Amino acid sequence: MNARYLYCIVDGNKAINFGRTGIDNKKVYTIPFKDLSAVVHDCPSAPYKSEDSEKVKSWIITHEKVVEAAWKKFGTILPFGFDTIIIGDKNGNAEKNVKRWLKNDYKRLRLKLDKFKGKAEFGVQIFLHPEIIAKSIAEGDPEIKKLEAEIRAKSRGFAYMYKQKLGIILRKQMELEAEKYFNDFYEKIKKTVIEIKVEKTKKPEEGKQMLMNLSCLLLRDKAKDLGAELEKIKNKKEFFVRFTGPWPPYSFV
Amino acid sequence: MSIDINEANLKCGLLGLVIALVEIIRDALKHQALRRIEGDTLTDEEIERLGMALEEIDMAIEQIKKEQGISESVKSIRNGLDDIVDDLLDRIANPQRWVENRAEEQA
Repeated sequence: MNARYLYCIVDGNKAINFGRTGIDNKKVYTIPFKDLSAVVHDCPSAPYKSEDSEKVKSWIITHEKVVEAAWKKFGTILPFGFDTIIIGDKNGNAEKNVKRWLKNDYKRLRLKLDKFKGKAEFGVQIFLHPEIIAKSIAEGDPEIKKLEAEIRAKSRGFAYMYKQKLGIILRKQMELEAEKYFNDFYEKIKKTVIEIKVEKTKKPEEGKQMLMNLSCLLLRDKAKDLGAELEKIKNKKEFFVRFTGPWPPYSFV
Repeated sequence: MSIDINEANLKCGLLGLVIALVEIIRDALKHQALRRIEGDTLTDEEIERLGMALEEIDMAIEQIKKEQGISESVKSIRNGLDDIVDDLLDRIANPQRWVENRAEEQA
């Protein structure tokens, strides 16, 4: 067990034992240095890998649970992603290596911890209903109305080709609308948070398309301001909002 | 994750891939047809014939997907292909990030 699996750095140096709550039921405990500590369990010097995706999923869930518990206990933490391991040196002393790393990086870690005091990460995903937006675009655009009339009037082959043209124009307009909404919402949301990260959008789910996927860092008690802004967006029938959190600030470490 | 290969799902996967490619080629044909029409190089009769032929192709593809039960399969193959192209373009646009990702994968 020549390495230490790292869950997070916490603000505080009380020696805490989290019991056998770690991955593979390992004992989770703290290694303190000055006024902060590393939350770890003892592990072999190889990363946790498995072909079994269910197993990996359960490891990740365990990791997140330990980080949550540390967050509850210490209030301010720097969470690390799954599978962050500090290996021991050639004499086999991992604990020393952890302390050495904490010592060398102390200033940077301390600064980051201070940055995160009282803050949390929230996830904002905004989806749009393509058909509703398409409909309102079609109703408001004279060129499109003209095309629709031609489609009704023409013979089968012509109608088909005009339909294809309509599809292209509609898609282009929708892209422009989506971009407008994206920029509008982004600016409004940005005003209510301290830091914001634009994440990749995920594939569409049941008729909804993801317009934006944001990770937001803000003061925990300011979450209602963000919530209020999202409520306004939620009330528009074209949009669906998923607001999650508070999470430990994984995306901002 | 073990992959369970049997004759049925191999055929399904292969057919799905074939139809996905047929759809992509069909989309290119539609695109070309529209350009010809807008370029004013076709007679009305030719446009009518072209439109009807493309519509027949659409209907035939939909029927095959329905009969073989591969609509979802084709959709996910095309999404997968989209992801691969996205990824490739990302790497071309931002080679530094590609190097970092490779380093992460091998770590």
